Amino acid sequence: MDRLIKDFLRGLWDENPVFRLLIGLCPTLAVTTSAVNGVAMGLATSFVLVCSSTIVSLLKKIIPGKVRIPSFIIIIATFVTIVDLSMNALLPDLHRVLGLFIPLIVVNCLVLGRSEAYASKMPVSWSIIDALGMGIGFTWALMLLGAIRELFGTGHVFGYLVLGDWFTPWQIMTLPPGAFITLGLLVGLINMITIYVHKLVRQQHKATN
Amino acid sequence: MELFLVFLSAVLVNNFVLVRFLGICPFMGVSKQVETSLGMGLATTFVMVVASTVSWLIQHFILEPFGLPYLQYVAFILVIASMVQLVEMFLHKTSPTLYRSMGIFLPLITTNCAILGMALILVMRAFTFSQSLIFGIGAGVGFTLALVLLAGIREELEFADVPAPLRGAGIAFIIAGLLSLAFSGFSGLVS
Amino acid sequence: MRESVRMIVVLTLIAMISAGVLSSVYNFTNEIIQTNLASELESSIFTVLPQAVSVRTIHPGVSTLVEDDRSTLQETEGTVSIPVFEALDQAGMPIGYAFVSEHTGYNGTIKVLVGVETATETITAVKVLEHLETPGLGSRIESASFLHQFVGKSATDPLTLNRDIDNISGATVSAQAVVDAVRNGFPLAIKRYKEER
Repeated sequence: MDRLIKDFLRGLWDENPVFRLLIGLCPTLAVTTSAVNGVAMGLATSFVLVCSSTIVSLLKKIIPGKVRIPSFIIIIATFVTIVDLSMNALLPDLHRVLGLFIPLIVVNCLVLGRSEAYASKMPVSWSIIDALGMGIGFTWALMLLGAIRELFGTGHVFGYLVLGDWFTPWQIMTLPPGAFITLGLLVGLINMITIYVHKLVRQQHKATN
Repeated sequence: MELFLVFLSAVLVNNFVLVRFLGICPFMGVSKQVETSLGMGLATTFVMVVASTVSWLIQHFILEPFGLPYLQYVAFILVIASMVQLVEMFLHKTSPTLYRSMGIFLPLITTNCAILGMALILVMRAFTFSQSLIFGIGAGVGFTLALVLLAGIREELEFADVPAPLRGAGIAFIIAGLLSLAFSGFSGLVS
Repeated sequence: MRESVRMIVVLTLIAMISAGVLSSVYNFTNEIIQTNLASELESSIFTVLPQAVSVRTIHPGVSTLVEDDRSTLQETEGTVSIPVFEALDQAGMPIGYAFVSEHTGYNGTIKVLVGVETATETITAVKVLEHLETPGLGSRIESASFLHQFVGKSATDPLTLNRDIDNISGATVSAQAVVDAVRNGFPLAIKRYKEER
């Protein structure tokens, strides 16, 4: 049980797909012009991740090793198409914003990576927990990035006005250069916190010994 | 002339990596040395050219006539994966030297979203066959250009005093941001 | 040998199941998507022609308003037919019509809906239906101040950017695309409207 929780939490910080593993970066940069878009993209990816991890884990004994990658890709592409069609039917406005990047979940290295490295070797329940952790980790990273870019780019967060009239929006934040630079600084910040926490833990360890 | 504009727009104005955010994973992962990034760029360009023509043919001779738009993603990604496999086998048989220099990158190319992205964009923009071919070449050249540029800067960074938390990925992203800023100067070049 | 047979069988099975699942999901969602598109278009027509009470399709365009139609639009260029809708008032009398026109912008196709008053043959309003322009720059083609400039123009007005229509700084390509879409679509729509009535 302890390990299950540990595996789940791993995706949230230590092996956060965006900040630590640096995978799944294309949608991370492209759709995070606002916090809502980031959350939507994160949830869509999480859904595909959980579904395909489950199926891959269920079928791991049936699929021969040599055609494993094509099989995984078909499974993933199927779920992505389902998300794409349902989103177009139920949430047309959001679908228009996320546009090209919904189909590109197919080639998000995060999804194929978890199928290959984890789900194809572990039992179903473990795979689901791992996929959930990674999905939530991906979603919060996108939400944070989206919120920061939206805040400085437009003065709003989640569509609510945060910075008043005195604030002149930094146009650059909503444009491609802003995406790269914000993510670079965030990666640095996350690294800094991790280094600090590890140092703290080590000191405490020493103290108790 | 129009074909040239398609090419120029794919390379500079709508650079796949720096403006469209496609192919970021290999852009970050394989840009530590100029030599390897050039190899990766060339291998990707090759697959892109093949994939652009094949996916155009599939779209116009299979998916559209039979009314199967919902199989587009599955069909395209399968084509790309098998193209990569074929290229790998072909290189292995015919040119072992080229295979050795490009071989390690080939499996990575399947999950390079720039290739699937390119296939979807050329369908969305309703390109003709020759436009698709040129677009594929332009996308590949644009990808290679961005990759080699970043690698060149990162090689020099070896000797720079970068703050510890930013070392590696952090500073690479910031440099990519500056490159992207430079590329935004090309907007308006093609109208 | 048995291994390779198994490979083929498993891969084929997975592909077949995937195709089956997708075709049923597609059939189910496609209906909703089409209804959504139609109702969205209808409400847009009411915003460009506020006095309208009901809408009648004069001409559906090349075919129904599905995204994949762009390819056919492109191939038949020169004889492009654009969708035209007639707006009726309470008494069922025609008060104007609306047409959909498109032009390639900076990142992709920009689709606009233009409302025209029958009595004066001038534009009542322009609405951007679809675009993929850069947020913050090209996306300003959606702003009221830009689109309001088209109001009152007729098909014979030259509609030149920077002279009749103020440009959007940093987004010339997007602004030009909207102008082109309106200017190219207007005469076609008038012709179609007179023919079909």
